[in-house]
Amino acid sequence: MRWGMVVDLGKCMRCHGCVAACRVEHFLPLGITWPRLIAWEKPAEELTTFPVRCNHCQDAPCVKVCITGATQQREDGIVWVDQDKCVGCRYCIIACPYQNRTFLSKDKDTGYFPGYELTEFEKAGKRSYPHTVGTTEKCNFCMERIDDGISKGLKPGVDRDATPACVNACPSRALTFGDLDDPESEVRRLIYSYMGFQLHPEYDTDPSTYYIDKGRKGV
Amino acid sequence: MALRQWMVTHEWMVKPTAQTEWIERRGILVWIAEVFTSLGAGLYLVSLYFNNWWGMLAGYLIIMCLKLPPHLIYFGKPLRFWRTLIPFTDSWKTSWFTRGINFTVYFGTIVFIQLVVGYIAINVYPGTVWETWDIVLRVPGGILGFLVGIYSGFIMSYCRSVPFWNTAMLPLILIIAGVTDGLALMLAIGLVDTSVDISAVEFVSRILLIVNIIFIAAYVWNATYISKTAKYSAMLLLKGKLAPVFWIGVITCGIISPLVISVSSYFSGDASSPLLITAIGFHTVGAIALKYILLKAGIHNPILPVKTSAYY
Repeated sequence: MRWGMVVDLGKCMRCHGCVAACRVEHFLPLGITWPRLIAWEKPAEELTTFPVRCNHCQDAPCVKVCITGATQQREDGIVWVDQDKCVGCRYCIIACPYQNRTFLSKDKDTGYFPGYELTEFEKAGKRSYPHTVGTTEKCNFCMERIDDGISKGLKPGVDRDATPACVNACPSRALTFGDLDDPESEVRRLIYSYMGFQLHPEYDTDPSTYYIDKGRKGV
Repeated sequence: MALRQWMVTHEWMVKPTAQTEWIERRGILVWIAEVFTSLGAGLYLVSLYFNNWWGMLAGYLIIMCLKLPPHLIYFGKPLRFWRTLIPFTDSWKTSWFTRGINFTVYFGTIVFIQLVVGYIAINVYPGTVWETWDIVLRVPGGILGFLVGIYSGFIMSYCRSVPFWNTAMLPLILIIAGVTDGLALMLAIGLVDTSVDISAVEFVSRILLIVNIIFIAAYVWNATYISKTAKYSAMLLLKGKLAPVFWIGVITCGIISPLVISVSSYFSGDASSPLLITAIGFHTVGAIALKYILLKAGIHNPILPVKTSAYY
């Protein structure tokens, strides 16, 4: 079993729904964003965006360089950070070719309204999903949802309660989640049908996030 | 058009993006630690070669008091430092950072014992078995000093994400630069310790300064054809915003000036103290500048898989 995601660039409508859903799901501090939409302009062309997030690489450099073993890879391929073990050396941030890790410094956790009391949402977040200042953070494919869903007999990628929040929130269904090892899964079908590609395959990291553009259908 | 009203364009990972974690804001501590790693390990190795106990002590103190604390303070959670030590982690199997921290801790332990034994062998019981033990302890001390001096090069060269660093030349450059730094500090010790053979130190220094400049030139030249991003880094050094630091700090102060002073003292027969102090000062500025430009020129490849050349 290897969890993976397919991002359809043709369907993504730049709504930032995935970013917002992740922020709510994980009570992310204001200065932290796990999935991102990078945006740029080219001369004579319209504004272009590209959704990125942790690729959960099979051969993840961040796991190898971690000095305490805080960054770990589960058997299902999910790469996660044990914030109780992380010392905040930031080697993983440097080593990640995709730059999808963030160091949570004090100035990134000032609250949504600096100088004022925390909102009820923030207080709830501190209780149920604490983020440790001085450590590194990244997308974890909502592994709590996946684990909880599987324990209830649900199927990640099919049943909403076992599927990452960003996938559920995407209004244009640009995100698809599933088991890359399952030949019958939707993610495998999309990758094979639409020539799915990974970012920077030359690094041999074998990312679990694939990109497709249905405008250029393959076999 | 409406899209542009709320979506901000930015160049993060669209164009080559500089690493900032190890050089900006609190990352300056990493730079400081790297400078003292080079000076301390280099001085210890040179002192071993020239059999100078005071040099070994100074090298040891630089590593333990000036290199290790900035590294630890840099950590987001410094009190979890123990998690990096064997046997509390098995990350040393893959992580050069873990290996480096452990090398430093072992260096601190072994060399402390070696210095105590060496002091007793020189000042209390000369010509006894203490001397043998001193020599025996210098072997692991020297190996660990070498590893402490070179490990940060491996930390950086392991990062495929930063093409400028991702070359086997980087560890060699750092260790050679470290030994050259050590020679400069040895000259400084020689100003107060008459047992130091200044001419011998200068002779080795001349050779290593030339080797240093060849290695740095080859490293930068090599970077111009590894990848476009590595070339971008190299161009930052040669004619970009880092050029003043590279040409004035690293090349002129760090290599050319000490080399000219050293060669002139070779022809004049003896170097005066003011000239030596000038050379030592220039060289130390070069050591500081070299670590700065290496860390500052660490540029990540753009994240997008296609047409990245369009953004250069």
